[in-house]
Amino acid sequence: MAVDEESDTSPRNSTGGENTENKRNEGRGEEERAFECNICLDTAKDAVISMCGHLFCWPCLHQWLETRPNRQSCPVCKAAISRDKVIPLYGRGGSKEDPREKLPPRPQGQRTEPENTGAFSNFGFDGGFQMSFGIGAFPFGLFASTFNFGDPVIRGHGAHGTNPANLEDERFLSQLFLWVAILFIFWLLVA
Amino acid sequence: MYSPRSEASLAQSCTLQRQEKRLQKELVALIKEPPPGVVIDGESVGQSLDLLVLSINGAQGTIYEGEQFQLQFRFGPKYPFDSPEVVFIGTEIPVHPHVYSNGHICLSILTDDWSPALSIFSVCVSIISMLSSCKEKKRPPDDSMYVKTCSKNPKKTKWWYHDEEV
Repeated sequence: MAVDEESDTSPRNSTGGENTENKRNEGRGEEERAFECNICLDTAKDAVISMCGHLFCWPCLHQWLETRPNRQSCPVCKAAISRDKVIPLYGRGGSKEDPREKLPPRPQGQRTEPENTGAFSNFGFDGGFQMSFGIGAFPFGLFASTFNFGDPVIRGHGAHGTNPANLEDERFLSQLFLWVAILFIFWLLVA
Repeated sequence: MYSPRSEASLAQSCTLQRQEKRLQKELVALIKEPPPGVVIDGESVGQSLDLLVLSINGAQGTIYEGEQFQLQFRFGPKYPFDSPEVVFIGTEIPVHPHVYSNGHICLSILTDDWSPALSIFSVCVSIISMLSSCKEKKRPPDDSMYVKTCSKNPKKTKWWYHDEEV
């Protein structure tokens, strides 16, 4: 027999008269049932409450939200529910930590953007210049190209940024390519 | 030292424990106070925690009055986050527009509309109410076709829930 009928009461039954103990336990049970998680049916641990007023253990609710990530609804009343719309409950004593911080049990995947110290960040500032344009619908690119003049990694700071000749060169090139681009677009429209 | 594998298995055993505990609680409450019309054989309960067979009596004043059916619950490892597999078994299968002759039941809470706040108790009540609201004993229109082609597990059936009346 795997059913454990006395799981709740066994520690108390070992002391005192059985009848009074049982009665007291029943009364206590009624009172405590109001604070049972609607999923595991046990007293809510790391309790959270939904906007619709239903009480859960955060681990239980979290698992339910993970089960149906696309259709997250309150298990009791089917109202919309989400991680950010539940309120942690802090009784007297116990942990003051937000239960939602303790879980998720599954660590989140992490990704960070690569550090961008290269070409794109110093466009137009210290001598690096680039321009790219492309026309066409993926995957049939008609024309896509990148022009990259001046490698800012190799060039030092200061010297080139203030060099007027260099600046003029760049301005000329940028205008040239701008016109090439405009002509090309024009040609595309006409053709 | 952080070791993801042991943590994962620990979490898994914790959830298993929680789920087992919930089933036990449900069974204890069910034996103590079964829903009206449900008879539970206390001896057979608990022999295995993932299978439960109980008897359902047709409610008085309905077309199933006096009939008794065997209802079988099978609980997967994800219960209560996943619905139990519920079928009628034995020779007596209720003749009902949502019950196929192989015992499969077309009831939305058994698949799409399942919620972990539902229980053995509430499934029994739903099935009894489904039987009680029926006015005419007949099989689903596609019964013979479905019974021939369906999987053994009703949860693998793609059910269409369109009839709100019965």
